[in-house]
Amino acid sequence: MENRQTTSALLIVGHGSTVNPDSSAPTLAYAAEIRRRHFFVDVACAFWKEEPSLRDARFFFDDSAIKEVYVVPNFISEGYFTQTVIPRELELGGRITNRGNGQTWKYCEPVGNDSEMTELLLKRAKEIAPEAPAGSTTLIIAAHGTDLNENSAGAAKREAEKIRKLDRYAAVLNLYMEEPPLITHWMKLTDTKNVVVVPFFISDGLHSYEDIPVMLGIAKKRSALNLSAAARDEIFRQNPYKIGNRSLYYASAIGTEPQLADIIIKQVARFDCGSEGSLPTS
Amino acid sequence: MPDSIERALAAALTDACYFGQILIRKAGENGFVLCHRDDQGFDGLRLFQNPEDAIEISKFDDIENYRPLKTAPNLSRGWQLAVVDLSDLRRALDYFYPGRLAALVAWKENRLKTTPLRQTLDRQSGMYRIAAKISDAQINSLVGDFCRSDGGCLRAILWKRNESGIIPSTKLPPEKFEPAHDQALGPGPTTAAIAVIPLLCQEACNLLVAAARKVVKGE
Repeated sequence: MENRQTTSALLIVGHGSTVNPDSSAPTLAYAAEIRRRHFFVDVACAFWKEEPSLRDARFFFDDSAIKEVYVVPNFISEGYFTQTVIPRELELGGRITNRGNGQTWKYCEPVGNDSEMTELLLKRAKEIAPEAPAGSTTLIIAAHGTDLNENSAGAAKREAEKIRKLDRYAAVLNLYMEEPPLITHWMKLTDTKNVVVVPFFISDGLHSYEDIPVMLGIAKKRSALNLSAAARDEIFRQNPYKIGNRSLYYASAIGTEPQLADIIIKQVARFDCGSEGSLPTS
Repeated sequence: MPDSIERALAAALTDACYFGQILIRKAGENGFVLCHRDDQGFDGLRLFQNPEDAIEISKFDDIENYRPLKTAPNLSRGWQLAVVDLSDLRRALDYFYPGRLAALVAWKENRLKTTPLRQTLDRQSGMYRIAAKISDAQINSLVGDFCRSDGGCLRAILWKRNESGIIPSTKLPPEKFEPAHDQALGPGPTTAAIAVIPLLCQEACNLLVAAARKVVKGE
């Protein structure tokens, strides 16, 4: 992509967590990687639940050389955070916001909207279950879903539809933590010998370490965030889980793939290719 | 070329200065050495040389508890971080105290907008919407406890309780609202022996909003 070293800055927005020490790690790592590539004058992160906050980020990028700031949500889907929280906290008026200091802030689509996410899902599914023939395997994309925003579940649904059309897996399901179809019902909703579950989340945290494993019946509630990092990761290392005559394979969050740094940069290029316009409404 | 934050940082740095709980010392022609201010002169500190190491150093306190608030006065001890130049120093400090240098520069340039707590609370949505129901008396008590420098947060508070300009808590000493005061020294008129770069708070953090929600819900 074009080198934006002279006039453009990048703000990567993550969720962050007040209880999970690993939540912001991928976002910080992608920022460091993109910084190393010198595509932008400056690269910074901001978080909803960690520091620096989204409100703090309004005071970043003061350098007069910076004419544009690209804001890329490191979120898995368009939803409550991308459509309500981030614009409100950063005081964005739409896809393009002209600031009083002459800067233009450009609000890009979340990384989860990128077409490469489909490839990442397929790659992760194959990696954790190399011996499971796709023809006798159900792929479950496990996402959050929320009644706060009807679009939250949409990204997982869209990915499931895309993978279904490839006709590789016996079945492809999008299941959710907080709205139907529920992850808890996976046994009733699948009938293949092998089941591969990929959490459609941007970082590993309470949801991927504990909540989803409990819903799948492969772990008991155990306050996973109080465990060491190695102990938390054990849940991803015991594949396959034998449940009755089924083999269940459980992956770590999709957003921890290193290619996400490339996808973040791609959102900037996509913005300039004409995806600007008003924010989609929730 | 240094950006505005690096230029402001360079102007604020003396041979040795405090930034929160960190002691910053100039080392050699361009470098800097950082350590916990209470570890000055200690031998046997764990040595680090990469600004990114600050992420892990600042993640947990001395008893391995996660530090969701980086300006809490519980930075771990026993480490020393050497960085090669001003740019790496800025990067490291941005990991130790995220966003604080940018706030400082904006404040020095008179463009740091502060937001009254009531405005912050009224803006919330979703699970935090209820936080706006907190009473003034509850705010007085909550902020007095949550933001206090001895055990809460080392930032100097610049925001007010509401648009009338009332201070957020009468339980906090006047120094808590004074950027020039070394918050890590505690209340009182004492001054630090060396220069202090202030940690400024222009708006209530998400942790305080979450705490206000808990007060309202009686949790």
